[in-house]
Amino acid sequence: MNSPAPVRIYTMTWVALLALLATTFGLAHLDLGAMSPVASLAIATVKAVLVAVFFMHLRRASALVVLFALVAIFGLAILFTLSGADYATREIHAAPWTAPEGH
Amino acid sequence: MSASVHAIDPRTWRSETASLAMWVFLATELMFFGALFLAYLYVRSHDPGGVAAASRHTHEWLGTLNTAILLTSSFTMALAVRGSQLGQRESVRRFLWITAALGTAFLAVKGIEYAKEWDEGVVPGLHFTVAEHVRATALFFYLYFVATGVHAVHLAIGVVTVLWQSWRLRAPALPPWRVDEIDVTGLYWHFVDAIWVFLYPLFYLVDLHG
Repeated sequence: MNSPAPVRIYTMTWVALLALLATTFGLAHLDLGAMSPVASLAIATVKAVLVAVFFMHLRRASALVVLFALVAIFGLAILFTLSGADYATREIHAAPWTAPEGH
Repeated sequence: MSASVHAIDPRTWRSETASLAMWVFLATELMFFGALFLAYLYVRSHDPGGVAAASRHTHEWLGTLNTAILLTSSFTMALAVRGSQLGQRESVRRFLWITAALGTAFLAVKGIEYAKEWDEGVVPGLHFTVAEHVRATALFFYLYFVATGVHAVHLAIGVVTVLWQSWRLRAPALPPWRVDEIDVTGLYWHFVDAIWVFLYPLFYLVDLHG
């Protein structure tokens, strides 16, 4: 590790994280319809990026470490996309042991 | 190229290796939690109304308090890592203690929530008395207990590790490998924090308006 970042960087990150927490909690009380989960997940993503970049110092990490972090996200995206291809296109049928209607 | 490879300072090489190894481990951890997030996505996309109704049983103030506690613990953990890089052993010990205390506070609040949820009968299979949106609520709380439970186990491991690192710093020395160990402990701690950052809106903030 080279020389560490100034305390100010960490303090600002912490303040930003708490401000985002207050924002997402406040927004959750408003009726935003379909935008509500979009907003809360967007804020969660920003928080996670702040944690990764400043607290986990990805900002100063080697290209190899950054690559591994990105591959982890990419792998998760593949998992979601391929599984989603199944779940998003499959109809749900009643299970065989469901009591048939009208009998 | 080979000349520059051999020119790497052994200390830098060791720090890099430790950091990279932890990131590889965290990548596998992301796959593990990812499966739970995918299961959640399935339940929520197939029964949004049911999930919204189920989420109203969670205690959003306690969840928000816990999020603030955990974000603050990441801040103090980052300061501990920073202190170790500057060779400030006493400062590192103090911040590690604060981090462990905040982690323990999080687990205590989580325990209070679990006790409330048991009393309210939203524990699928064991104590479940919900009458509306039964299937979605059962699935939602099953995922809630698995995800937050596994997260709590991770955090408990983090608390023990942080306390262990602090205990090992009682002797007046801060060798370079100890600095690396505190650094990767920090990476683990921040990852567990980042997982919670997603669990929080998915379980607590689904439907609070109106």
